[in-house]
Amino acid sequence: MSKRYMGRRILSVSVAAALALSLSACGGQNSEQEDPVAAETGGLGAYDETLVCNMGRSTIANPKFPEGDSYEDNAYTRYLKEKLNVEVVDSFEANGEDYDRQVSLAIASGELPDVMRVGSRDVLTELVENDLVADLTDVYEEYASDYIKEIYDSYDGRCLDEAMYDGRLMALPGTNYDAAPCEIFIRQDWLDDLGMNIDEDGDMCLTIDELEEVVRTFVDKDPGNTGNPVGLAFAPYLTAGDYGGSGYTMTAIGSAYQAFPGSWLMDENGQVYNGSTTEGMKNALAKLAEWFQEGLVDPQFGTRTWDDITALLTNGQTGIAFGPWHLPDWLLNNVRSMDPDAEFSAYTICDENGKVNVIHNNACSGYMVVRKGYSNPEVLIKIANLFFDDIVNDKNLEEEEPEVYEYITTVDNSARPIQVELNKNTYLVDEYSDIKNCVEGNITMDEVRSVESKTKVESIKRYLEDPDNAEVADWSSYTSRMNGMGLIDHLTAADQFEWFSPVFFDTTKTMETNNADLNKLQEETFVAIVTGSKSIDEFDTFVEDWNSRGGEQITKEVQEAVDAQ
Amino acid sequence: MKKKTFIQKRIMRSQSMYHMMMLPGMIFVLIFSYVPMVGIVMAFQDYVPAKGILGSEFVGLQHFKYMFSLPDIWQILTNTVVIAVGKIILGTVMAIAFAILLNEIRVKFFKKAVQTIVYLPHFLSWVVLAAVVINMVNLDGPVNQIVQMLGLDKINFLGSNTWFRPMIIVTDVWKEFGYNSIVYLAAITSIDPGLHEAAAMDGANWWKRIWHITLPGMLPIILLMGAMNLTSILSAGFDQIYNLYSPMVYQTGDVLDTYVYRMGMISRQYSFSTAVGLLRSVVGMALMLIANGLAKKLTDRKIF
Amino acid sequence: MVQKKGIFSNIGKGAIYLIVFLLGLICLLPLLNIVAVSFSGSAAVAANKVGFLPVDFTTAAYEKILGDDQFWRSFGISVIRVILGLVLNLVLIVLMAYPLSKSKREFKGRSIYMNMLIFAMLFNGGMIPTYIVVKNLGLLNTVWALVLPGAVPIFSVIMVMNFFMGVPKALEEAAVIDGATPFQVLTRVYLPCSKPVIATVALFSIVGNWNDFFSGLIYMTKVNNYPLQTYIQSLSVKLEDMLNAGGSLSSLVNIMDVSSQNLNAAKIVVSVIPLLMIYPLLQKYLITGIVVGSVKE
Repeated sequence: MSKRYMGRRILSVSVAAALALSLSACGGQNSEQEDPVAAETGGLGAYDETLVCNMGRSTIANPKFPEGDSYEDNAYTRYLKEKLNVEVVDSFEANGEDYDRQVSLAIASGELPDVMRVGSRDVLTELVENDLVADLTDVYEEYASDYIKEIYDSYDGRCLDEAMYDGRLMALPGTNYDAAPCEIFIRQDWLDDLGMNIDEDGDMCLTIDELEEVVRTFVDKDPGNTGNPVGLAFAPYLTAGDYGGSGYTMTAIGSAYQAFPGSWLMDENGQVYNGSTTEGMKNALAKLAEWFQEGLVDPQFGTRTWDDITALLTNGQTGIAFGPWHLPDWLLNNVRSMDPDAEFSAYTICDENGKVNVIHNNACSGYMVVRKGYSNPEVLIKIANLFFDDIVNDKNLEEEEPEVYEYITTVDNSARPIQVELNKNTYLVDEYSDIKNCVEGNITMDEVRSVESKTKVESIKRYLEDPDNAEVADWSSYTSRMNGMGLIDHLTAADQFEWFSPVFFDTTKTMETNNADLNKLQEETFVAIVTGSKSIDEFDTFVEDWNSRGGEQITKEVQEAVDAQ
Repeated sequence: MKKKTFIQKRIMRSQSMYHMMMLPGMIFVLIFSYVPMVGIVMAFQDYVPAKGILGSEFVGLQHFKYMFSLPDIWQILTNTVVIAVGKIILGTVMAIAFAILLNEIRVKFFKKAVQTIVYLPHFLSWVVLAAVVINMVNLDGPVNQIVQMLGLDKINFLGSNTWFRPMIIVTDVWKEFGYNSIVYLAAITSIDPGLHEAAAMDGANWWKRIWHITLPGMLPIILLMGAMNLTSILSAGFDQIYNLYSPMVYQTGDVLDTYVYRMGMISRQYSFSTAVGLLRSVVGMALMLIANGLAKKLTDRKIF
Repeated sequence: MVQKKGIFSNIGKGAIYLIVFLLGLICLLPLLNIVAVSFSGSAAVAANKVGFLPVDFTTAAYEKILGDDQFWRSFGISVIRVILGLVLNLVLIVLMAYPLSKSKREFKGRSIYMNMLIFAMLFNGGMIPTYIVVKNLGLLNTVWALVLPGAVPIFSVIMVMNFFMGVPKALEEAAVIDGATPFQVLTRVYLPCSKPVIATVALFSIVGNWNDFFSGLIYMTKVNNYPLQTYIQSLSVKLEDMLNAGGSLSSLVNIMDVSSQNLNAAKIVVSVIPLLMIYPLLQKYLITGIVVGSVKE
C-alpha cells in the first residue's frame, strides 16, 4: 500500500514542480538595474574588468570569415576586447526570417540579450511599450563622439527621431542615406551588337516606351542566344520600401507613374494617402499586365526565387536588371563571371515630362537596442564610436590594425558587433566625387576620405589599365561606381530628380494588427493583376478591400499623427 | 483455483512496479506536454511578454471574435480542409489500388524491389522532398517538358492558385501511397483464399472477385483507416507546405498550421496565434473522439 | 475459348505488372533527378538541362562538401541526436507500453495514464510555451533540446502496447510462477517476441529524429548547432531574406555567393544516405510491426 502512495506522491511532486517552473517561466523579466562595471572616462573608455555583453546577432549565410574566425570571435570582436575590454557572447545568431523568429522568441520568453538589432520600428515600439529596453538619451549625450553626432545631424533629426518615444531615445538607429533612383542595368554589349542607341539625347533616362522597345527587341532577337529569352524578370514581392532593396522590383516603373507603393504621402489638400492605392499604382500595374500578356515579362513571374532570376541573367535569358546603384557589386558580377563580354550601362526611367520621380528613404534603417536593466548601457554608444568614428577616420588603419583593415575589405559587415550602418546623408555624393576625382588624378589618395573609397579607387584604376582582362571584382567596382553612382551624380547635377517626401514612417495601432493581412492582400493582388489572373479593373476592388480590412482606419490614424506634428 | 489467486496476488504486487515503469515517461510528458499547456491561457489574454502570463490582462474571447471577423480565416479553413480531404481520399484510393495490384505480383524479386522503392519516399523529409519536387515541376523542369510535348502551355505549378492545392495533394500522395498500402496489403493477404477459388469456379472474373471478395474483405480496415484519417483534417501537413509555399499562393495554400506559425513566430501576435492554435486543437480533439466512436461502431475496433 | 481466356488474363497480368512498374518508376525518377543534378556541371543545372542523368558529369560538388566544416558538424549533431533519441525513445516506449498493455484490473491506474497520454497527443500548448520550458531548463543549443521534448512518442507507445496485448498470456503466467518480477517478464518474455514492433518504432524514431528540421530552427540559436536537416533547410536563399538585407551592400554581395544548386543537391543526397543504409535493415520487420501494432481489437 505504502508503495502505491509513494508512486502517487512522486507524481504529485513532479506535477507541482513542473507547474512552479512554468509560472516562473512566464512571470516576466526582472528588470532591476544591474550594478555597472567601472570604466575609464570618455567615449572610448576601457572597462576596468572585462564587460560581458550578450548579443543577438543578425548573420548572413556566407560572411567570408578567415579560417577559424566566427561571429563571436573575429577581428572586430577582438579589437573591441583590446580597446574597450568588452567581450561579445552571442545569445543567438540567425539570418533573415530565422533572426526575426529568435527575436520573437526572446521577447515572448521575456529574456532579451544585452544588446541586439531589431529590424523594424514595429518591434522597437513593442519593446518600448513592454518596457524591455533601456533609455539611451543620457548615455548618447554623454558618450557619443562629435563625429557620430555629426552623422546624425546630417539627417536633420530625421533619423534619431525614428528612435524617439516621448522625447526619449530608446535605441540607436542605423542611418540610411538616400540612394535614389532605382536604376536599370541593361546589357550594353547586346545593344551594341544589335546596333541600338537607346539614349540618343544622352540624359541617361528612358521613357516607358523606350524601355518597352528594348525589352521587345531583346525578346525577339534573343541576343543571349539561349532560345528562351524571358524579357523582364521580377521578384514576386514586386515592390520595395527603399531603393537599397529595390533589386528585381518594379520600383523604377512605378516611379514613372508616380506610384510609390507602401509609402504614406500627402496630397495638396493635406490629406494623407497610401501609395499602394493610387491611380498611378493602377496604371503601373496595368502596364506590367500588358507586358506580361505580350510576353515581355517573365512568364514564370511569381515563383522565381532570387536565385532563379539571377540564373536568368547569368544564362543570358534576360539582359535587364532593376536595382540600386550597387547592383554590379553583388549581382551583375555573376553575369560578368559567366560571360566576360558582358557590359552593363545604367539608366533610369523618367516620366512624360522628363522628370525622374524619386522618394526619400526612411532615414533610418534598423535599430540597436540595449536590454533594460543591463549594467552598462553606454557600451553600445562606445561600440558605435569605435566602429563608425575611430576606425573609419583612422588614416593609418592599414599599418596599425592590418587585421581590421583586411576585414573592412573582405569580410561582411555583419561581423561587426554593431549591426547597423552609420553614414552621413551625403555619403554617396561624397564618395563619388572622391573616387572620380582621384581616378582622374585631381586629388591624391590621401585626400580620399574613407577607407572604402580608397580601396575602390585602387580597384577602378586596375580595371582601367586593362579593361578586357580585368578581374571581375574590378569590373564590378568600375561599373557600380562610374556607371551606377555616376548616374545619380549626373541626375543630381542636371536637376532631373522630382523628390517626394513620405510624411510618416511609424506604425500605428491598427497597423500592428492589420499590416500583415494588408501586405498579404497587396502582394497577392498585384501579382494576380500582372499575371492576368485578375483583370486590372479589380484594382478598385483591391482598394475597397484594403480600406475595409483596416486600411481606412490606418489612414485615419496616420492623418491624426501627421496633423498632430 | 489456488493457482489463480497466487497469480492475482503477484499481479497486485506488481502495481507499484508498473507505476515505476510509467514514471520516467510520464515526467517527460508532464514537462514537455502538460506544462506548456499553461500557455493556452494566452489565448484569452492580451499577452504582454514583460508582464508574463500572471500579469497580463484578460480579454475574454476578443481574439476569437477578431479571428472570425477576418475574411482570411475562412479562406485558411477552406484551404486546410480541402487539402486534407483531398489527401485522404486520393491517398486512400491510391493505397488500396496499389495494394490490390501488388498482391497480384508473383515474381518475388520484382515485388520486393517495387516495395522497397515505393516505401522509400515516406522516410525522406519534406526538406529533401521539397527540393526534389521543386526541381521536377519548375517551368523548365521535366514535368513541364512533358506538358509541352503534349502540346500544352507550360504550367507554373507551385506559383499558381489553381495548381497549388492539387500539387500539394498529389505530391503528398506520391510520398505516402506506398507506405500506406502496407496495412491494406496485409488485409488482403488475410482474406481466405478459398473464397477466391470458389468464386473463380463460379466463373467470376478478376474484376468481379476484387469487387465482391477483396474489397468487402478489406472493408473493416478501410473504415478504420478512414476514421483515423478524420483526425488529420485540420492538419494539412505543415512541413510540406512550409517548404513549398510562397506568398503568391497564400490564397490557396495557407493552412491553419502555417498561419499560426507566421502569426506567432514572425508577426509576434502571441495571443492571437495561440487562440487560432487552440481552436485547431479543440476541433481536432472533437474529431478524434468522433473517429474513435465511429471506428468502434463500424468495425468493433478502437483506435485507442 | 479456353485459350482466349488465357490470352486475356496474360494481357491483364502484363498490364498489372506494367502499372506497378510505372508506379515504382514514378517514385524513383524524381529522386534520380536530384542525384543527377548533384553530379552535373553548374552551368547545365542553371540552364535547367538536367533530367535523370547527369550532364557534364562532375564530382566537384561532392569534393566541395568534403571541405565544408559546417556540413559535417551538422551531420555529426544529427547522428548524435538520432542515437540519443533512439535509446531514450525505445527505453521509454517499452517501459510505458508494458504496464499499459495490462487490463484495467491488472493495472489500476491504467486508464488515467492512458487518458493523459491521449490528451497530450491531441492537445498542445503551442510552440512558444514549449520553447519557454525548454529554455528555462537550460536546454537551448544542446542536443537535448532536440531529443527530450520528443522523448515519449505516444503513437509508438500505443503501437507497442497493442502488440504486447497480443502476446499470449500463458507465457507471462509461466514466468510469474517461476518468480519473475514484472520487469523480468518484460525483458525475458515480451521483448524477445516483439522484434517486429520494436524494429518498427525504432525505424520511426530514427527517421523522425533524422528528418526533423523544425526543432533545430527554434531551439538552436546558432547555425553552428543546427542539425543537418535544419542546415539544409537554411541553405535555400529566401526572397524574404533578400528583402531583410535591404540596403546593406556587402550583405547582398555575400548572400549571392552561396547559391549553388548542384552543391545543395549534393548535400541533400549525402543527407539521405544514412537513412538509405538503415532502412533496408529494418524494412523486413516493418509490415508485421505496423499491422499488428496499429489496430486494437
